[in-house]
Amino acid sequence: MSKKKQVTLKIFAALALTDLLETFAQFCFKKSAISAELLKISFFGAGLEFVGMLVRSPFLWLGLFSVFVIFVLWCAILSEIDLSVAVPVASISYITIPLVSVIFLGEKISLMQWSGISFILFGIILVSLSTKTSEEL
Amino acid sequence: MARGFIFILSLIFLTDLIDTIGQLILKRSINSLDFHIDSFTKAFKLVVQLLKIPRVWFGFILSGVSLVVWLFVLTRAELGFAFSLDSMRYILIALASAFFLKEKIVPIRWLGIFCVILGIVLVAAGQH
Repeated sequence: MSKKKQVTLKIFAALALTDLLETFAQFCFKKSAISAELLKISFFGAGLEFVGMLVRSPFLWLGLFSVFVIFVLWCAILSEIDLSVAVPVASISYITIPLVSVIFLGEKISLMQWSGISFILFGIILVSLSTKTSEEL
Repeated sequence: MARGFIFILSLIFLTDLIDTIGQLILKRSINSLDFHIDSFTKAFKLVVQLLKIPRVWFGFILSGVSLVVWLFVLTRAELGFAFSLDSMRYILIALASAFFLKEKIVPIRWLGIFCVILGIVLVAAGQH
């Protein structure tokens, strides 16, 4: 019943774009969370106060706008490929962010992280290839 | 320390579970519409159609709840730690896709999913 469409270059590019925007959104959310953190909330009943602080942060709204664009892209992607393919392949940002940090920010990446990046890359390739095998079977 | 760990772990599990349910609802709705996307305009039309489905809105509410829980986790846990544990979402998504969407997950896809999880844990744990 489910469509078993292959991961084409176009779909891959769309996934990479959602990832880029997702990174931006995460950055915005982290920023808004830091400003709300100053509140030092206690566990009970402080949830509303926490949300109140978040809503006043412009970063939250910038992040939410990115989320809308991501949503449009994500719907387009899901109309073409399986959910169990789209979600793992969308983890490209775990590769691109460290690489960008190394090239543009001069950050250092540990050996452990390099091996992690290789595993993610290998995993994405396997998941993408799995759409091919399931179609050929 | 251990209590704090279990607390954060359960919260991360909660966000992942909520997200998975949201994704299931969305994918099911998209499958029911049977659109073929070849342009951004078409993608927009798909979204407009989706917005007419009430359960898609329920999915949005779930995303909102998940976001609030996740932001709370970020104030309490280190980013690397939170992201490592968050990779359990891949397992939840795979299981949910197999059971509820009848997606056929061949062994090579499972292997790929576990490689991605292992990789994310290594990247997150390798931070200093």
